[in-house]
Amino acid sequence: MRLGEFLSDRLDRLLIQGTCAGTAAFFLWATGTQPGVLVILLLSLLLVFIAFHLTDFFRQRARLQELNAILDGLDQKYLFAECLPPARKLYERRFLGLTRRAGQAMTEAVSDARAAQLEYREYVERWVHEIKTPITAARLICGHLEGDIRRRLTYELGQIEGHVERALFYARAASPERDCVIRPAQLGEIVSRAIGTHRTLLIQSGVRVETEGLDLCVYTDEKWAAFILGQLLQNAARYRGTEPAITISARPLGNQVQLTVADNGIGIPAHELPRVFDRGFTGSNGRVRGGSTGMGLYLCRKLAGFLELGLTISSEEGKGSAVTLTFPAKENLTKL
Amino acid sequence: MPKIMIIEDDPAIREELGLLLENEGYRTAAVADFSDVPGQIQGAAPDLILMDLGLPGRDGMSLCVDIRKASRTPIIFVTSWDSASDELRALSLGGDDYITKPYNIPVLLARIRAVLRRVGGQAESDTLEAGELKLHLTRGTASAGEKSVELTRNELKILAYLMGNPGQIVPRADLIDALWDSQIYIDDNTLSVNITRLRSKLEEIGLPGFIKTRRGMGYQL
Repeated sequence: MRLGEFLSDRLDRLLIQGTCAGTAAFFLWATGTQPGVLVILLLSLLLVFIAFHLTDFFRQRARLQELNAILDGLDQKYLFAECLPPARKLYERRFLGLTRRAGQAMTEAVSDARAAQLEYREYVERWVHEIKTPITAARLICGHLEGDIRRRLTYELGQIEGHVERALFYARAASPERDCVIRPAQLGEIVSRAIGTHRTLLIQSGVRVETEGLDLCVYTDEKWAAFILGQLLQNAARYRGTEPAITISARPLGNQVQLTVADNGIGIPAHELPRVFDRGFTGSNGRVRGGSTGMGLYLCRKLAGFLELGLTISSEEGKGSAVTLTFPAKENLTKL
Repeated sequence: MPKIMIIEDDPAIREELGLLLENEGYRTAAVADFSDVPGQIQGAAPDLILMDLGLPGRDGMSLCVDIRKASRTPIIFVTSWDSASDELRALSLGGDDYITKPYNIPVLLARIRAVLRRVGGQAESDTLEAGELKLHLTRGTASAGEKSVELTRNELKILAYLMGNPGQIVPRADLIDALWDSQIYIDDNTLSVNITRLRSKLEEIGLPGFIKTRRGMGYQL
């Protein structure tokens, strides 16, 4: 708060005080008071006014600074009204009372929404785990079938699993700290885990997978990293070209590790590239082929953010795409 | 053959898993009544236990602690709960492996074999034989009579799989599936290339036509 705005805010009071002083002086002068006395009187009035307004200014400014500091110090800003020091003035007291009531209503709304979200997340998790039982049974039953029919059904079951898995990780991403455990992991194991999960899709798409230099240790959550990798593998299989091949290669980069998943698929148009990580973005390839949800890469970016993984994509139409994951150095991890 | 005990509350999975394992040549026993599981395990004396975590009454973890009090029978947890903390806990309580549902059947079978091998301490035979052909797995060579030839990892695995199913027609898709189990992620074309190279190597050691092509069906030794 600046003195200028403070004074212009109380211009009405200043005018009334000035008018009163002027009127009184005129009255005294008209009734024969000596001008010398009047000047002294007016000067002392002026001093009193200045002192009064200045004290008020400094007091209000200090109070505002105090409130500002309290708000800045709060993690959950909506709890502001709960943390206020008692007000000295009636008006401020009443006003803060109103703020407090509004704040309480907000706190309740927030905690209701939190509880509802948590409940929903728990339901999704439970549902996902329950649906896995019949999927497992169906997979086992498929074992009785012969040849092509078995492979086709297993493929479709794999698709169902893919959707279920995305739903699970979508729910988990809302409060990742509950599930994510960062510890040393073998990159090769993460990769073979991801390939194992999506092997039916990859084999049936006729994809050849080559791995290179995966004998490295990274600090991450194995399951989450395998999920991210799985999304990349699914994309590579879905948007494949002729004689599809995926190369998964890794190399150390200082204390970091770079993992690249490169394919020779149909690629992504340059103007769509900046948006591929957006939620629900399907792009022209997705629209032409169908079955694209626009969730895979969005989830990748979200989970990568939590794992502190660097995630970049490059692509050339007709030549293929490459996604690079940069695993952070152990020292740089804030969540270890 | 080893006996595997299935502790699983979903009847469909219990039954299907039993059939699958019996088809693989294992003997099986299943727990259908969950009142006295440790007692039933003692009665059945299995070589391996496949156990679900979410069982009626009490969960698999506390059951595992009970089983461990009486026996060292290896336990593989099979569960749809895939949180990292569950996995850690299950393994620290004495579980030998932890597999999440839904599993790929080849992966499940491979993990069962691995645990049985680890516990039994039995090394798998180093050489395979079919007719005149001898395959030396650790050396990575094939020999017939005096002649011998070096094989690549892919060729070795292909030949080993074919020799594991002598006389049978092995569909290309099954062969590819088996190779993916060994982390050889090849496609149909690469398989053809590998088979061609393998054939010419076998010809070098005097076994032309050892791998027969059954058109539209697969390969046969």
